[in-house]
Formats: sequence, C-alpha cells, structure tokens
Amino acid sequence: MHAAELRGVTRRYGRRLALDDVSFAIPPGRSFGLLGPNGAGKTTALRLLLGFARPSSGEVRLRGLPPTRSAARQRVGYLPESAKLPARMRVDRFLRLHARLAGLSGAEIGREVDAGLELTGISDRAKETIGSLSKGLAQRVAFAQAFLGRPELLLLDEPTSGLDPLGMRDAREWLDAARQRGASVLMSSHVLSEVERACDDVAILNEGRIVASGPLEELVEPGETLEDLFVRVVRG
Amino acid sequence: MRSAASTFFILSGEALADATRRRITPVVAVVSVLSLMAVDGCTGCASSFVENGQEIDPTQIAGYSGTLLFTVLALWTCVLAGILASDHLVEPLADGSAALILGRPVGRSAFALARLAGVLAITFVTGLTLLGVTAFLLSARHDLPIDASVLAGVAAAVGWVIVAALSMLASLLLPRIAVAMLVLVGVGSIASVNLVAQLGGTLTGLPFLIDQWGPPLASAVIAALSPWIAPAQAFGSGTELALRLSAWAIGSSAALLVAVRRIEIGR
Repeated sequence: MHAAELRGVTRRYGRRLALDDVSFAIPPGRSFGLLGPNGAGKTTALRLLLGFARPSSGEVRLRGLPPTRSAARQRVGYLPESAKLPARMRVDRFLRLHARLAGLSGAEIGREVDAGLELTGISDRAKETIGSLSKGLAQRVAFAQAFLGRPELLLLDEPTSGLDPLGMRDAREWLDAARQRGASVLMSSHVLSEVERACDDVAILNEGRIVASGPLEELVEPGETLEDLFVRVVRG
Repeated sequence: MRSAASTFFILSGEALADATRRRITPVVAVVSVLSLMAVDGCTGCASSFVENGQEIDPTQIAGYSGTLLFTVLALWTCVLAGILASDHLVEPLADGSAALILGRPVGRSAFALARLAGVLAITFVTGLTLLGVTAFLLSARHDLPIDASVLAGVAAAVGWVIVAALSMLASLLLPRIAVAMLVLVGVGSIASVNLVAQLGGTLTGLPFLIDQWGPPLASAVIAALSPWIAPAQAFGSGTELALRLSAWAIGSSAALLVAVRRIEIGR
C-alpha cells in the first residue's frame, strides 16, 4: 500500500485545468518532492490528497483509503503553506488540541506536546499566544503540530516558508529524524536545494502536467543540479 | 482513532473558547446587562391605564405586556445567534485555520456541528439569563405562570438553532455583512408576519406563505405564552407549531452539514 497516490487525476476549476492526468505514488518510507513553478498545481495535488477538494476525474488514495474518509488522515501530519494559526490561542493549548485530534490521550498528550516543543526549540514560548510570535516562530509551532503523534506520512506545503537559515537547517534535521523512523514525506517546495537534500524521488509539475518524475539520482544528469533539471524540463 | 462524538466534544470546547475570545462577546454581555436593567424597569412599572374613563389595574394588562417583552427578547437572542454564526464557521474556513483541523482525522460534520455548538453555547447562556430573569420577574411581580415561560423558552431555543444554522449556511455563500443583514431582515420579517397573524390580521401572498410554512419564531413563543393572556385566545395549534419548529431545526442543521460536506477547503 502506498502512503499516498494519485492515479490519472484531472482537476478543473471552471475552464482552467489545474491538474491534467497526473499520476504519482509515494511508497512507504520514501521522501517525495513535488516541484513546479507558481500555479503548476502543487497545492491542488496536496488538497486532493487531504480530501479538501475532489478530482474531476481519476483516483486519489491516502494510506490506501479515499481521502474524504477521516480514517485516511489518521497518523498524517500536515503543514499548509503559510499556515494560519489561531492568533489568540496559547502555543501549548494549540498543540494539546491537535494532539487530542490526532488521537492521543492521557499522558501521551503532554509527552508528545513537550517533545514537539523541545524538537522545534520553542519550549520557552509555550505559554505565549501564537499571535505574539514572529513568523518564523509561528512556523516552528506549525511544524510542531505536524509532528505530533509520530505521523507515518508528512504532507508539507512550502515547509521552510518564513524560516531563517537556522530554522531551515533545523527543519532539515526534523525531517531527517522523521524519515529515519520510517515516515513517508511529501514536500512541495520552491527551495530546490532543500528538496535535493531531503527527497528520494521528485515530480516536476508544469501547467498541471507532470513533465518529469522519478528517483532524483536518475533524473539529474551528471554535472547537473536539480535547479538545472527544473529549468530544463519546465522551459522545455 | 477517536469516535466522531469524542472529536465533536473536543472541537465544541475549542469553538466555545474561540467564541468567548471574540471582540463581540463583551459587547453582548454589556447589551445583556442593559437589557436586564430595562426588563427590571418594565416589569416593575406601575403606570396608570385609563379606558373609558376608568382606571385599569396594570396587572390586568401584564399578560399582554409580558408576552410582548418575552417575545421581543426571544427574537433579540435569535438575531444574536444569527450574527454570531455569520462568521464563526466561515472565518476559519477562509483564513485557512480550519485546514489544520480538517487535516486531522476529523469529519467535516463534526467540525461544522462543533462550530454551531460554540455559537449556541454563547446564545444559550445569554438567552436563558435574559428569558429566565424576565420570566421570574413577571411571575414574582405579576403572578404570570412560569410554566408557560419554560415552554416559550424551549421554543425560543429551537429558534436559535434554526437561525444560527441558516446563518452559517448563508455565510458559505455570501459575505458577512450580507448574512448579518439577512438575519436582521429575516427575523424581523418572520416576526412581523407572525405577529400580524396572531392579532387576527389577514395575510396574502409571500407573508402568508412565510407565516404558514416558515419557521414560526414568534408564533411558537406567543402560543406558548397564551396562558398569560386572558381571556384565552386562539393562537394556532401548539402541536403544529412545535412540529414545524422542530422540522426547521432539523432541516436547517442538515442543510448546513450537506453544504459543508460539499465545499472545497482552502481555496
């Protein structure tokens, strides 16, 4: 069973084709980078995987289930692009809420929340309201919630957005730790160097179509970087 | 995985906490206190009423004035429920914060019902305080039977559910200001036609349809309070009004859930 899969998915918004016969699959334990210029359809693909939108045609599976079923999202950590967190809520209360929604109970909640705060380096800000935090710290809170409950699959949309270079380096370590314990990762990002470091496989979307996909080492030619590949396939 | 009921209770607690953190909540509290002061003044008045040169004992008209006061407060809380609901669901959907919740193993129905419950909790506290104090004062000062006000309170509470659910439903389609206007115009229109019908006026066309088939927000409250008015008048069938009120509450909540299941999140 794949951690996530799109099979022949087309998605239209009125006349506009956001995704055109897109297929990819993320095997368990693999890290997958979804790349493409703005408007290529990356966020649409993530929204389909989470059941936030339905495909016009084709099939979407999340952990083997239709994503509209809430059971499909069990043990899935999601980090949306520019995550909007409840500004008036305290950091620890926000994380406790998400820990409970993730299915944790009793002492597990406190343990996981503390671990998330510790991991993302925001333990000293736990009692502050989210609205009082900088963009970078709020992004760390968003990361902490995505990691709650040791998810088997992480869906990350532009995860390093808002993080400073130190935060980006930390995020890389958090992702490495998740991968080492066997989590699958789907990362949509513009930061190609991050994807190059963190992902095993990539798919490059352009105008709703996949123009290149496969293991990174097979796609990138000798002497070429991921950025070179990206420019080559997107510009044709 | 958590049960849907457990998820609903977790989300309801958060929705209530979110509702209490909103800027409108202190305003509601202040308006409620002012309303209670007005109620205290209204129920304590001892003005003299003269008809055909004869002074009438104010307690003789207490039934009418009490019914009017109670109905106005019930409708005011209907408006409150509608205004609070006009952005309580759509705001987290629009700003993306709902996406974090719905990215969890959380059903959309549980999420929507929890947001509705958050609004209703605030409305219930406000409404039950206002209506409860009013009923107590009218009973203590004018001997109006309190059991009628209990039934009227239940009718009002079902009305809050209807207005809040319809307001949330409308908020998925219309901007907040339009929804707020719709709540004011809708509750006002229903109350007007209900009142005209209760006073024996003749209704035709749309007003007739609203009175006969619409949610009987005012009719049901007035009918429940009929023991306050002597001699007893015909206020329509209580059973028919109760069934219609219940059908609207179930129908509006179901319509909200269907709409929430169909919308796209985060676009």
